[in-house]
Amino acid sequence: MGFAQLVLRNLLRARVRSGLTLVGISLGITTIVALGVITAGFKSTAGAFVQSGGADFMVAQEGAADMSFSTIPETVVPQIAAVSGVAAARGALFHFTRAGSNPLFLLLGVTPGDLAADGPPLVEGRYLADGATDEIVLGAQGATDLNVRVGDALTIDDRVFHVVGVVQSDVLWEQSGALAPLVTVQEIANRREAVSVVHITLASGTKRDEVARRIEDEVPGVVSIVTADDIGKIDSGFQLLDAANVAISGLAIVIGGIGVMNTMVMSIFERTREIGVLRAVGWSGWRVLRMILLEALMLCFAAAVAGSFLGLLAVQAVMRIPSVRGFLEPSYEPNVFVQAFIVAIVVALVGAVYPAIRATRLTPMEALRYE
Amino acid sequence: MTNNASATTDSIIQVDGLVKNYDTGAVQVQALRGVSLSVRRGEMVAVMGPSGCGKTTLLNCLSGIDDVTSGRVLIEGTDISTLDDNTKTSYRARRMGFIFQFYNLLPVLTAVENVELPLLVSGTSPKESRQRAIEALRRVGLEEWAQHKPGQLSGGQRQRVTIARALVNRPAIVWADEPTGDLDSATANDIMGLMQQLNREQTLTFVIVTHDPSIAARCHRIIHMQDGRIEREVVNQEARVG
Ligand SMILES: Nc1ncnc2c1ncn2[C@@H]1O[C@H](COP(=O)(O)OP(=O)(O)OP(=O)(O)O)[C@@H](O)[C@H]1O
Ligand SMILES: [Mg+2]
Repeated sequence: MGFAQLVLRNLLRARVRSGLTLVGISLGITTIVALGVITAGFKSTAGAFVQSGGADFMVAQEGAADMSFSTIPETVVPQIAAVSGVAAARGALFHFTRAGSNPLFLLLGVTPGDLAADGPPLVEGRYLADGATDEIVLGAQGATDLNVRVGDALTIDDRVFHVVGVVQSDVLWEQSGALAPLVTVQEIANRREAVSVVHITLASGTKRDEVARRIEDEVPGVVSIVTADDIGKIDSGFQLLDAANVAISGLAIVIGGIGVMNTMVMSIFERTREIGVLRAVGWSGWRVLRMILLEALMLCFAAAVAGSFLGLLAVQAVMRIPSVRGFLEPSYEPNVFVQAFIVAIVVALVGAVYPAIRATRLTPMEALRYE
Repeated sequence: MTNNASATTDSIIQVDGLVKNYDTGAVQVQALRGVSLSVRRGEMVAVMGPSGCGKTTLLNCLSGIDDVTSGRVLIEGTDISTLDDNTKTSYRARRMGFIFQFYNLLPVLTAVENVELPLLVSGTSPKESRQRAIEALRRVGLEEWAQHKPGQLSGGQRQRVTIARALVNRPAIVWADEPTGDLDSATANDIMGLMQQLNREQTLTFVIVTHDPSIAARCHRIIHMQDGRIEREVVNQEARVG
């Protein structure tokens, strides 16, 4: 018989208690994993958007509450284009609207010239014609979801569009959304002469971070977004997700830790005499301490495994919602699982250290006399 | 009162002026008020006396399970009252065996696993531990019951498992606190027979706390305690050591 076997037997002796503790902790882990996968997915989806159309980075309104609320006057676009090091600046306007069953369909307003120059590859039809106001190009997924093809008419926000092309985009929001002339989207969204963001292509031989800083210096009221993490600067949703992640991990540690502590304190109370016997037959306090810590660690490790599986199932369930599917792609980053296991280990330590130290503080005699 | 304070070369246990006080907040209990005694290697000593006279306390202080307040406790020439907890612990693991009144087996472990417990700390390989545990169980006549949990064993069988556990590390001294206290007289008789046999065959030193005169009568010497002191010692002429 090995040490680990004894630890396992001790856990299995109070199956219901160990089981309930395991369920409690694994639910915390479930939340951490699900939220982590979704946050990471949202970030990588948004990160892909930052670089959409081969752009090197993008510019948004400083202090905007949300990326779709970001507003930059159209007149600023040429100003940005004039900053040294910028080869091209392409404005785009977000308009989230209902289309078919999707309440968060993204209609992206772009100038036909920009689309023709840097648009995602066509799979069918053509890009927007110069000067056209009622044409629309759909992302391949958007076209499938809405069941429309090139040549069909599509009504969005009471406006009839002619579908002229279908593109295959790496950017999920484009892939499951649509691209329409900027002027038309400005009219529909009632945001005339405005764009949400400006995509920047660098002139060759320039440094991205330098140009990004120069734009912020020379053009008032804008902020450069170079990485997905920068989106947090203008999108409170990102900050909210990050904060929720930290809060849930913290709560899981506190609540889980108390749960484990309760379990371990009870378990050790019941086994005080056994601990006395172990000490009498030559087990050091340190070994008893290790036994108790290992019990908690095993319990929390099992909870982390179970919770990770449940978290993946939860993500699968969330991804069945069409609007979510068009909005983000889950990203199963190893970091998320590492975080879940770290939380589980911290929970185990928080919960077990006190009971373990308590148990080893007793002299063997005190433990043996315990009633 | 006999006082064997003078150290003899073959004394495995040598106690001088052992005092043990318990400080329980308001009251101070003087559990041992100056105990001196000496036990020879291979001797089987019974400790008797009324309840609360300090028998368990004496055993705990001699085995290093409890700290002493003052006095000297030499076990195989080492003053264990000066050892730190870890050294005492490892000394117990190597040189001592324990038998308790209420068996004190771990209910989640089988008989053979319970017997292996002391070996888990001694760096013995799992295979050798198992062999030695089975061997110890054979010696107490419980080989067939190796895979049973304590809950599936009778009181007498459980006490045999405890004895096997006390033997498995090949100790020099076995401490037994009322080993037959919870058994019927026939079973008590068996268990005592077993301990006597082990004492003879392996020159194992036994210190046995008991309330049962018939158990005490089978030991080499009986130490009578009263109020934390040794009241008198009776050497049993029929049961000579060696
Ligand atoms: N941990 C302790 N704290 C306080 N007092 C104690 C403690 N252990 C023992 N005592 C006291 O020390 C005295 C001796 O106790 P001990 O257990 O040694 O008696 P005993 O001779 O073994 O009795 P019994 O035959 O009933 O087992 C008693 O008065 C007891 O109340
Ligand atoms: Mg007692």
